This record gives sequence, structure tokens and C-alpha cells, in this order.
Amino acid sequence: MEALVHFLPQVWFVILALFLFLYVMLDGFDLGVGILSLTSSDEERRSILMTSLGNIWDANETWLVIMGGALFGAFPLAYATILSALYIPIFIMIFGLIFRAVAFEFREHSNNKAFWNFAFGAGSFIAALGQGFALGSVIEGIKVDASGHFIGSTWDWLDWRSMLVALTLIQGYVLIGSTYLILKTEGELQKTHFKTSKIAAITTFIGAIVITIATPIVYEAARTRLFSAPLVYIFAVIPVLGVLLIWALLRSLNREEENTPFIWTILIFLITFVGLGLIVFPYIIPNQITIYQAAAAPSALVFMLTFIGVLIPIMLFYNIYNYVVFRGKVVGSAYGD
Amino acid sequence: MDLLSNTVALSRMQFALTAIFHMLWPVLTTGMSIYLVIVEGLWLKTRNPDYYRHARFWSKLFVLNFGIGVASGLPMEFQFGTNWAPFSEAVGDFFGSILGFEGAMAFMLEAGFLGIMLFGWGRVHPAIHYLATIMVAFGANLSTFWILVANSWLQTPAGGEMVQGKFIVSDYFQAIANPFMVKSVSHMFFATLETSLFVIGGISAWYILNNRHQEFFAKSLKIVLVATIAVTPLQIYIGHLSAEQVAQYQPTKLAAMEAKWETSPAGQPADWSLLAIPDEATQSNKWEITIPNGLGYVLEFKKNLTTPVLGLKEWPYSDRPHMVGLIYYSFRVMSGIGFFLAGLMLWSVLQWLLGNLSNAKIADQKWLLRTWIFAAPLGYIAVESGWIVRCVGRQPWTMYGQIRTADAASHIPASNVLTSLTLFAVVYSILLVATLYFGSKIIGHGPNMEISIPEVYGTDKLAIATEPAIFVPDQRPIETQQ
Repeated sequence: MEALVHFLPQVWFVILALFLFLYVMLDGFDLGVGILSLTSSDEERRSILMTSLGNIWDANETWLVIMGGALFGAFPLAYATILSALYIPIFIMIFGLIFRAVAFEFREHSNNKAFWNFAFGAGSFIAALGQGFALGSVIEGIKVDASGHFIGSTWDWLDWRSMLVALTLIQGYVLIGSTYLILKTEGELQKTHFKTSKIAAITTFIGAIVITIATPIVYEAARTRLFSAPLVYIFAVIPVLGVLLIWALLRSLNREEENTPFIWTILIFLITFVGLGLIVFPYIIPNQITIYQAAAAPSALVFMLTFIGVLIPIMLFYNIYNYVVFRGKVVGSAYGD
Repeated sequence: MDLLSNTVALSRMQFALTAIFHMLWPVLTTGMSIYLVIVEGLWLKTRNPDYYRHARFWSKLFVLNFGIGVASGLPMEFQFGTNWAPFSEAVGDFFGSILGFEGAMAFMLEAGFLGIMLFGWGRVHPAIHYLATIMVAFGANLSTFWILVANSWLQTPAGGEMVQGKFIVSDYFQAIANPFMVKSVSHMFFATLETSLFVIGGISAWYILNNRHQEFFAKSLKIVLVATIAVTPLQIYIGHLSAEQVAQYQPTKLAAMEAKWETSPAGQPADWSLLAIPDEATQSNKWEITIPNGLGYVLEFKKNLTTPVLGLKEWPYSDRPHMVGLIYYSFRVMSGIGFFLAGLMLWSVLQWLLGNLSNAKIADQKWLLRTWIFAAPLGYIAVESGWIVRCVGRQPWTMYGQIRTADAASHIPASNVLTSLTLFAVVYSILLVATLYFGSKIIGHGPNMEISIPEVYGTDKLAIATEPAIFVPDQRPIETQQ
């Protein structure tokens, strides 16, 4: 029983990390494409960019909804404390996502395509900004009392560290968005995205280095955890792997390979996520509340596991099928119909 | 002003605004998804291209509503945490799990197959396309199920108890099958269907009245009419059952629905209030039209009450719902619309039996068609009114009898909530106007009668599995593409 009480929250920590990773990877490239569209003055290019997402953005965004629900059910205390503490960045994200979503529907029927193309780009940028601030402040730590209730102030989330995370996340989204567009476009348009991928790869890399160095310097708690065995070995391996992956990515971009940049970028996201997960674990509100303190009753975790856990492979299956159906290049501004 | 610095009141207003706005879109898409399954099925069965054109035309309105529904659904998902943190912490074990199920079972199913349903024509085998349409409809209605499970559980908590401010669940299936669940899920299922049927019927009637594609839209009007024969009376019946369960489990809500201040004892008849001006200051109705001895008939189909009907005065002011007038009239508006729509169904069926809905004569039924157009928005009003009765009537509780709304709200600065509430009011107003504008544009444009009809393959030839997916760009100008 004791083992179960520990094991179930760990399982849910991993499942939530999986949902978050799927969201950041999949909606990450949607948002990245959106942010990239802001840099273009060419309406036709923007239309192609939006078309490349038409059939999938909604399913990608749904991973966020699933993650929200699963966090609510599995770690109610964390859901309540984190969301109420991050009131402002959460609503920044929500309004951004609202604009992004309606831009897809309204653009279709509007004569003023430029306006909705802009709403798509601006919405994506605002959503990514809100997410970056939220992520940054969660890693940084939220002020809570002994029972895990928020006691900080409403602007705690805003400082140079969360700003740094937000900017790096935006660069990361642009990177994965660019490499996705290398897959989906061809000709001149594809060439542009080789260029944007390279720039984004370098800026993301710089951001990641600064964050990696700053974390153990600024946070004493992280320092003591990271520099003691066994984490110190993992902490040593992850940056090395990261550098190798960035090198592989830049090489594939220089060779103008079509498929590999996207794959390397996904691996970079994955390794970052594993690193983050290891730093945060076993906390759900970093350095304050552990997953064991915040977890719902074991019966609730089992209940959720039977309903949601079983569905994960099925969800992955039909999502992959969706990508298979719509594989190939986007040329016009509609999906061939 | 007091209100502007009251976090609880502002959070309630924000929840009400975002919920009322959000409700407008899924109510149509869940019902219409079933209609899309019907017309696509008819097309596959009869090979009549008109049914294919119907599927394509209505799915344009479908996806417009779907997009706004997705956008306005996000704040619903996160608001429990941002604005109702103590509540979320107390009920997360069950309530949060159910929201998780809705996401993983319902939303993902809808979203995962929507792309194929909208853009997959000609890319996948028609059978697979039909499967995608069915999955979208199944997902949408599954979402109704889980949301109503969650809300019913707040109305009639079951399957556990509150221990030190946290709801400890002992039996999850009992919590799912809480007393309100079956009837509330059914009531909402038929509500989405009925609203969508009258929207589709109203738009079809508009085309017929304006001499556009009369034969084409007579088809959809008749499909709708056949469905309403079953749906409208059933919904009235389930509505009655829902009121009965309110009488049994939530006497304070029933008293507010009937603006009943004084208790009527058992074994005697009581008057039923038809119209009134409830006055909370004097705890009475200022003015009233009643139907003598009517209450027994309304509740139990007989003259004398078997159980007493408690009046609002039975409870202290802090333990019963306020805004009695709103609850009282919302209930009357909802039921009135239910009966009106059933009446419209009867009138239309009568005309059909008399042969007046034949292609030659249907356009002459001007008043009937006008009434259908008038009825198009009524379903929405009924649904919103019903939710007002359900949730305002539940006050002062968020979880009936267990958690007070005042204790459920996050301790956050009122200025935060005021800012987000104001932004929602502005953004949602714009979205509402824009959606109505683009919706009427789609309707003004009408169905594309020249659209190419995909070939329905024989069952022995599953093209999707073998054909390489080479993308063929559409060379037509954007305006003509569907």
C-alpha cells in the first residue's frame, strides 16, 4: 500500500509530462508557424502557413485541455494553486489562443484576409508569451504556505528570469515551426524556412545555455540537488546531448535536408523536457509541494488511470492517422479540395 | 463601488458570462453533428448528390460554430483553477477527473476526426470519411454526457462525503450515477438536438420563402420535421421529470422557480402561479396571476399535493437562492418555448399530412415558414434560460448543501478579475457580432450546387490503403473552392 501511494503519483507525473510534451511539441509548431507569419509581409505566404495547420491545430490544442483536466483530477492542489497564482499569464495565454482559434474560422469567409492572418500571428505570439511566463514562474517557484496555498502577490510571475524563459520558449516554438514548414513547403518558401530555422536554432541555443547556467547559480535548492549524485551525472549528460543535437540540427539545415531538421528539433525538445522533469521531480510546485502532497486519493488516481490511461494509445493512434492522411506538401491555400 | 471590489461577485459574473457565451456554440455543433451523420448516411445509401451537397453546406456552419466553441471552451477549463481554487482543491478527485475524461474521450475524438471530416473528402475512402463524421458526432455527444455528469454531481453530490473540507470519494460509479445524472444528461442531449433541428429548419424555411433552392431545402426541412415529431414531445416529458427531481432534491430551487414564499401543506390543493412580480424585500409577489388548484396538476398530475411544497420563507435568507424573479421567469421562458416548438411541430405535420408541403405547394405556406424562421433562435434562449434556472437556482451553493459559492472563490485581487471580465465582455461581443456576420454570409452565399461529387467506391475497392497520397493542389480561385 505504501508503495502504491508513492507509485501512483509518479505514474501521473509521467503521464502529465507526456501530455505537456505532446502539447509543447505539437501546438508548439502551430504557435511557431503563427509567430513566423508575423515576419512575413506576403499575404499568400501567410495563407499557405495557415493552411498547413488547418486540419490539425484543434487536435494539437486539445492536448492542453487534456493536460488541464488531468492535472485537475490527479493533483487538485497543484491545479488550484498554480492557476490562481498565475492568473495573469494564464489569461494572457487564453486570450491569445482565442484569437488564434477564431482567426482560422473567420479568415475562411472574410474578404479581409490580411486582418485575420494578423490575428492568427498575434494570437499565437501572445499565447506563447503567456505560456513562457507561466512556465518560467513555475520553475522559479511559487510562494505558498505549508498547506500549499498561494500567498505571493499577483505580479510575482514577472521578472527577468521568467522573461528569459518566455523568450527562449518563443524561439523554441519558432524553431519547431520553421522545421515543420520545411517539411510542408517547397521551393522559395522552403528556402526561407531553412534560414529562419537556422536563426531560431542559434537563439534557442543561446537562451538554453543562459537558463542552464543561471538555474544552479540563482537557485540554491536546485544547486544542492543537481550537484549531488545521482542527478549530477544526468545533469552532466543532458547538456552534452543538447549540444550534439544542436550540432546535428545545424548540419542538417546546412545540407538542406527535408525531414531530419524537424526530427532533430523534436529530440532537442524531448531532451530539454527530460532535463526539466528531472530537475522538478518529485515536486509538482517546485521546491515547495511534492507530487505526494498534492496528489488526489489513490482511488482517484486508479479511477483516472483506467479511463484516461487506456485511451492514450488510442488517442495517439488516430492522431497519427490524421497526420498520415494529410502528409505531403501544402501548395495552394486549401487542402486540394 | 462595492461590486467592483468583490472578488466573489466578479468571479461569478465572469463564470456566468463565459459559460453563457460558450454554451451558444456547442449546443449547435453537438446537435448538428447528428444531422451531418444522417445526411451523409443518406448520401451513401441513396447516392443522391443533394445529400452530399447538404453535408458540405451545413458543415460550413458547423465548423464556424465549432471554432468559436473551442476558443470559448478554454476559459471554462482553466477558470476552475484561476477563480475557484478552494473549490478545485476540494472536489478535484472527482470533478477534475471527469473534466479529464471529457478531454481525453470526447474532445480529442472530435478534434482528431474533424480534420478528416472537413478536408478529407476524396483523400480517404467514403466509408472512412463516414466513420470520421460519426466519431465527431460521438465525441460531441460524449462531451455533453461528461459535462452533465460533472454538473449533476454538483447539484446532487453522491458517492462520498466531505472530510475536513475535501470531498473524499468512496464509490466513483455512484458519483457518476448521481441522482440527477440520467435525466439531466437526457434533457441536455435533447436540448442540443432540438435547438439544432430548429436552426436547420429555420434556415431551410428562409431559403424556401426566398425562392432559393426550394426543392433542395424542402429535403432538410422534412428531415428536421421527422426528427422533431419524436424530439419535441420527449423533451417536454423529460423536462417534467427534471422538475420532479428538483422538487425532490432541491426544494429551495423549486420554491424559487415557482416564486413560492409560503409553504403549501400536503393533502390539499394549491394555486399555481402563472405570472408574477416577485419582490424579495417583502418576501411576497407584488402582483400575480394564478391558476387555482393548479400546482398539484403541474407537479403530480392530480389535484391534491402528496408532499408539502415548501416556500422560500422556510429557509434563512442566507440558505436560499436570491434573484427569484430571474429564476422564475427563466423557467417560464424555457417551458414556454418547449411547448411552442412542439406546437409548431404539430402544425407542420398537419400541413404535411394535408399535402401542403409538396414541392409544388411548400412555398405557399408563408406563415408556416415564417414561424420556422422565428423559431430558429428560440432553442438557444430555452437552453440558456434552463441553465440559469439550474445554476442560479442552486445558489448559495456551488456544490449543493456542501460548498458555498462564497467559500469556493480564489483569494485573488478583485482588480485581476475585473480586468479579465471586462476583456471577456469586449472580446466576446466582437466574436458574437463577427460570427453572426460570417454565419449570415455563409447562408447568403448558399449551397454550392456545382460542387463535384466524389465517387462512391464499391466495397471491394478500398482506395485509401493502396493509393499513394500525392498532393494535388486546387487550381481554382479560392472563392470557388469549398
